[in-house]
This record gives sequence, structure tokens and C-alpha cells, in this order.
Amino acid sequence: MEIDFSPELEAFRAEVCDFLDTAPTPEIREAGRKLTSVFAPFEQVMAWHKILYEKGWAAPSWPKEHGGTGWTVEQRYIFAEEYRRRDLPPLLPQSLGMVGPLLIDIGTEEQKAKYLPPILKGEDFWAQGYSEPNSGSDLASLSCRADKDGDDYIINGSKIWTTYAHHANRMFMLVRTDNTGKKQQGITFLLLDRVDYPGMTIRPIVGLDGFPEQCEVFFEDVRVPQSGRVGEENDGWTVAKHLLKHERGGGAQSPTLHRGIERIREAAKDTPSGFGTSLAEDPVFLRDLGELEADIASYEAFEKLGVSGHPMANDPSWPSMNKTMNSVLTQRISVMMTRVTGNEGLPLQHEALRVGANVEPLGSDLELVAMPYYLNSRATTIYAGSNEVQRDLIARTAGRGA
Amino acid sequence: MDFSFTDEQQMLRDSVSSFLQRSYDFDARSKIVRSAEGWSRAIWEQIAEIGLLALPVAEDAGGLGGTAPDLVAVAEPFGAHLLAEPFIATLLAAPLLASVEDERLEGIMEGSKLAALAYEEGHGTADPSHIAMTAHRDGERFMLDGEKRMVLAGGDADLLLVVARLEDRLEDRLALFSLSPDSDGITIKGYQTIDGRRAANIRFSGVQVEKDDLLANDIEDALRKALDTAILALCAESVGAMGELLSRTAEYASTRKQFGVPIATFQAVAHRLADMKIAYTKARATLLYTAALMEAGHATERDMAILKGQTGKLGREVGEAAIQTHGGVGMTDELAVSHLHKRILANDALLGSSEYHLRKVGNLSRS
Ligand SMILES: Cc1cc2nc3c(=O)[nH]c(=O)nc-3n(C[C@H](O)[C@H](O)[C@H](O)COP(=O)(O)OP(=O)(O)OC[C@H]3O[C@@H](n4cnc5c(N)ncnc54)[C@H](O)[C@@H]3O)c2cc1C
Repeated sequence: MEIDFSPELEAFRAEVCDFLDTAPTPEIREAGRKLTSVFAPFEQVMAWHKILYEKGWAAPSWPKEHGGTGWTVEQRYIFAEEYRRRDLPPLLPQSLGMVGPLLIDIGTEEQKAKYLPPILKGEDFWAQGYSEPNSGSDLASLSCRADKDGDDYIINGSKIWTTYAHHANRMFMLVRTDNTGKKQQGITFLLLDRVDYPGMTIRPIVGLDGFPEQCEVFFEDVRVPQSGRVGEENDGWTVAKHLLKHERGGGAQSPTLHRGIERIREAAKDTPSGFGTSLAEDPVFLRDLGELEADIASYEAFEKLGVSGHPMANDPSWPSMNKTMNSVLTQRISVMMTRVTGNEGLPLQHEALRVGANVEPLGSDLELVAMPYYLNSRATTIYAGSNEVQRDLIARTAGRGA
Repeated sequence: MDFSFTDEQQMLRDSVSSFLQRSYDFDARSKIVRSAEGWSRAIWEQIAEIGLLALPVAEDAGGLGGTAPDLVAVAEPFGAHLLAEPFIATLLAAPLLASVEDERLEGIMEGSKLAALAYEEGHGTADPSHIAMTAHRDGERFMLDGEKRMVLAGGDADLLLVVARLEDRLEDRLALFSLSPDSDGITIKGYQTIDGRRAANIRFSGVQVEKDDLLANDIEDALRKALDTAILALCAESVGAMGELLSRTAEYASTRKQFGVPIATFQAVAHRLADMKIAYTKARATLLYTAALMEAGHATERDMAILKGQTGKLGREVGEAAIQTHGGVGMTDELAVSHLHKRILANDALLGSSEYHLRKVGNLSRS
């Protein structure tokens, strides 16, 4: 066992701080302050992605030969801590955290050469086309069809909940190529070079927080080349499951949660408890906050075990445990935020939430974001496989972890 | 002991429900909330016509002298239908006007005029003793400085009723002033709330109030009564919304299929539905019981705190479970589900959250 506390790391921290204090534009900072979702405002987060790429810091979790940073786990956490401390918008996960790592693991050399550089540079944004109206938890039942025609596939059907499809220029998706065997067997994983193929229509869906984030995507005789396939035809389920491991698996997420605690603590200083003191001095509140903080600390320990390659993390249910813990902690943070903001979280402030808006918020930054963040965070236990589905997966290996 | 509605109450409840089903289904309501004004004067007039705005006013003041159960009979369907119109605002203002025999009450009960109670001062003014805004005597007149927040209907009202501390010789009392919204020194910032109501933050900068507009120099008792009535109505609304969430979610879970079967057949989903039902039943029982206590004149501070605390806490459980059970569609603006949850959340935050009230229950039983 070993944790590096060497003085060189402090020099690294200083370098990170210096960069993060100077590189982001005011719009990028504003987008981070107004964050109410895991999905940051598109325009600003992509601008930030490009700046990080220039610095070589866009993909800390990627292998160095593909443009990763080659940082130690300690360094990755220092970066994440300082990043979150400044409320900078997190880079979007679909390309960097899902299809990128997938291609690194199992893409062809050609696919890697074609797709990885523009992902890294922040030129491409990929949407994830898995879910369908009738295939959510039961993803393998998906029916969006791709029929072979010469060197192409012809796609018919629809996808739903496709996050940021209206911003994407590319899309990875699952299609049905065979109906005869077990439902998992006739699925194929496709990369789409464009989302504006003839026959493709994208309709944004307004969420409960009032913002369009997910989309419906309709396919009517959409012709795409077969060369976009990853893995073998009808073997897409294996590919999809591999990607889900990246989607559900950990990165350095705990600093985001810790930052939530910090923001709550800060705002609690100015909030009356209703019992004579500020919330920040209120023993009941402190006990609740302490409980949450301790739980986040345990999650941080769990996460660091995973990222540093402890054998416990070889457990097949590790990504599911990660997803379950992280989603619930995110929700608990968001509840605590609304507890602090109380009444002041009730006004709808859509215009003030827009990056570049000329409207002053009615109250503090936290009062502006807490309620939409809470509402949006209800999704964390639904997306990437609902927590009920994760629990089923964890239960299957329950006896093995001990 | 009998906690059921009387025949009259049941009739009232049914007629309100069928009126709302006819004129205020979720689509109609969504259009109204999205309109520029954010609420419907036509609906408001009809609510007044049925007599619902006179319900909270005593008979000797020209009202219907509605009881607590009467109010529950009305407010439950209002919650289930997510009423955006200023009913709660009127519940707060009308009894106060009645308590000072103000003749403007008539227009309020008729629905032709709106009054808003400027009481809240931010973060949930859970108890009148938290009021900080002071009125300074200035010769024959008074000066108001400070800010009121989350004033329901504050941007639409014809009449503002302002609660402020009157520092007068040795006494420190809560006074009630009436002001026209366009008085000098008043700035009103109106907005919509997450649950589709209209409210406002109102700033008072050196606002001069004439002696005649001091409606009462000690309003605390009447104010506490009005707050209790509003708490009952907010909780009844939330319970109505919970019932709606429960039936919509049960229905969805029995029709939505995954893995070839309705999701309600998965034990995780079934047990969540069962917990929703328990929470709803517990909340509704508490509501009806508290209403009966109020009607009998026996509801204590503790009873009101239990009602508000339990409804906020159980309501959140039901709302969150409803969204989770709906999966992706639960996260959209298109379904009533998230809107019902937002109404419950807003009702929880108003007039002291469940955190506040549950703590208060503990504190009260200490002594
Ligand atoms: C904000 C957000 C972003 C998303 N982004 C994307 C995206 O970019 N791309 C994409 O492809 N998809 C995306 N999704 C879709 C997401 O993956 C699905 O919503 C999820 O898989 C659940 O499917 P469903 O919504 O159809 O719910 P359903 O599968 O219908 O589930 C409804 C409820 O039933 C429960 N349930 C279902 N089966 C079982 C079971 N066997 N046992 C116990 N309980 C069960 C679920 O847990 C849930 O509570 C996103 C969803 C959200 C909310």
C-alpha cells in the first residue's frame, strides 16, 4: 500500500491551479457556475474541451499513446479536485468516456485513426443511440432495424432519450440485424459519421427542469456504410456491454460530490435554520451533512481503489456498484442543496440560467441552480441502466465479493 | 368519531372535481401556465362563482364560513389538477381582511379583485416570530423598508397586505398594512414558480403608509389562524397530488412492459408502489385527522407541525418514486408526473419545510 504525498505533487497542483485560473474564458466559467446537469451547456463545454486539448489535458483517463496525460492516480485526483473547486464544466462523457475508450479497446486501426483524434480535439461530439421507446431497461429487445444493401445498411426505426443528439455530429448506435435467435444475438454496433443523413430526424424533448437535453431520433430508410460497424455483425451486444463498463465505471467523480458539500456548507452560513442560528451552526444540519460527507468519503475510497487497480475492482459488478453509489450520492447532494435554498429555489429562472443571459438571478448562484439540479438529478438513478437493473446485476455476484 | 366527509362536503368535492376534469385537464392547464399571464381569469371567475373564494371567510363577514374539512374537500382536487390560480394567496389574504372588517373583502370573494399577503421574507418564514421587516412611525404615517419574497400572486394583486413589525414604545407587535402595488417605493419582481404558480419578490424602499392603511396593529392571532388554514390547504393539495401520482404510476406500471411483462410484476417496482401507497395513506390519514381536530377547535401547534412535516416528507417520497418508476418519460415536461412532484416540493418549501416542522415537533414535545 502506498499513497504519494511527495512535494513534487504540490508543484503539479500549482501548475494545475495556474492553468485553471487563467485558461477558461468567462463564458466557460459561467457555464460551469450554471451547471444543473451532468451534461454541461454544449457550446461552452466544447470550447473548454478544445482549450484543454491544446494543453494536452482533455483525456486524463486515456492511455498516453492515444493522447492521455500519463498522470498517476494522485495527479488525476489533484486535477479533478482543482477543476471542481472552480466549478468548471465537466467535459461531455459520450465521446471521451464511452465511444473513445471503446474504440481504443476494440476498434480497428482504421477506426482509431479516423475517430480518436477529432474526439480528443473536441471537434466531434457523439450521441449514444441505445434506448428505444419500447426498449429501455430491456435494451436487448431493441427493434431499430438495419438491413444489408450492398456495402450499406438501411436503418428504420427510432431511438429515444438520446442525450444531446441535437448537438451531435456523430452517433454510435445499436441496431437489430437479426431477428431469428436470442434477442441479444441479433444486435449490431454501428458508428454513424453524420446525424444529418437523409431520412434522419431529431426532435428534442423538454425535460422536467424545462430544458431540452434528450432527443428522439427517427430513421426512415437511412443509408449508412457497413464500414461503420464495430465488432462483428450480430455481435453488437458484446460491444455494447463493453461500452457500458466505461459508462458506468468510475473516473475521478468524488471531487464533484465533495464540491457539492463545500457549496452547501458555504451557502448554509447565510441561511437561517429557523431555530435561532444559521444552518451552518445547526447541529441537526451538521449531523446530516456529516453523514453525507462521510458517505462521499467512502465512495472516494472505493473509487480510488478502482482507479488504482486494486483486485477488489476486478469484481464484475464493480461498475454497477459505482453507478449505484454515485447516482444516489448525487441525488442526496442535490436534495441537500434544495434544503438550504428552501423557498428561494422555487422561482423558475430559465432566462437567468442561460449562459450569456442579461438577466440577474433573483438570489445567489446556488439558489439559481439548486432546484433545476435536483430535478435533473432524478435521472441519475434512471440512465445508464436504472439502479434497479444495477442491483440485479450486483445481486448476481453478491456472494463473490466477500 | 367520524372522519368521513359529510354529504355536502362530498358533493362539493365531486363538483369541484368534475369542474376541473371538464375545464382543467392537464393539457388545458399546461396551456394556461404557458400563457403570458400564467393563470386563467376565466377559471378564476368560475371558482369564485361556485363560492370557493368565500369558503375561508366567516359567515358574519359575508363568507361561507367553511370548515377545515370543507377546505380539504376543495383543495385535494385542486392539488390533483395542479391549480395555478391564486387560491392559496386568497386563503391567506381574505381571512385577514375579514378580521379587520375591510370592505374590499367583497371584491376578493367575488373574484374581481386579488389580494396578496406579503409575509415571507426568504428561506421560508416558517413562523411569524421570524418576521424582520419593521414599520417605522413617521409622525402620523409609517415608513416601510425591506423585502418580502415568494409573495404568492404578488405580481398580480390589486392589493398588497404587508406584515411588518411595529416598533412602538415598548411593544413589538406584528402589524398589517394595506398598500396599492403602485405606491411609490415599491418594486415588484414577478415570476412563475416551479409548480406553475405566480409569485413575486417585493422590495419596499422608504414606502410611506398613511395611518388609515394600518389595518391592524396586532395581527398575530389572525395571521396564525390564516397560516394554519393555508398549511391545511397546501397539505391537502399535496395529498391530492400524491393520490394522482399513485394512480398514474400504478396504471403506468401495469401497462409498461419490459422483458415481456408489465414492470409492476418486478418485485422492486411492486414494493415501491406499495411504499407509495403506504406513504399516501399515511399522509391522507394525517390530513383528515388534522382537519377534524381543526374543525373541533382542538388542533395544536404540534398537530399542524406534524401535518406539514409529514406531508412534505411523504410527498417527496411519493413524487420521487413516481418519477423513478416511470423511467425516462418521468423525466419529461410532457407528463403530469413531474409537475405533480414539483407542486409537492413547492408546497413543502412554503411556510416552513418538513425539516423545520419535524424538528419543531421534537422541540414541542420536549417541554
Ligand atoms: C437524462 C437521461 C439521459 C439519457 N441518455 C441516454 C442516451 O444518451 N442514450 C441512450 O441510449 N439512452 C439514454 N437514456 C435512456 C436510459 O438509458 C433509459 O431511460 C433507461 O435505460 C431506463 O429505460 P426506460 O426509461 O425505458 O425505463 P423502463 O425500462 O421502462 O423502466 C421503468 C421502471 O421500471 C424499472 N424496471 C425495469 N425493468 C426492471 C426489472 N427487471 N426489475 C426491476 N425494475 C425494473 C426501472 O428500474 C424503472 O424504474 C437516458 C435517460 C435519461 C433519463
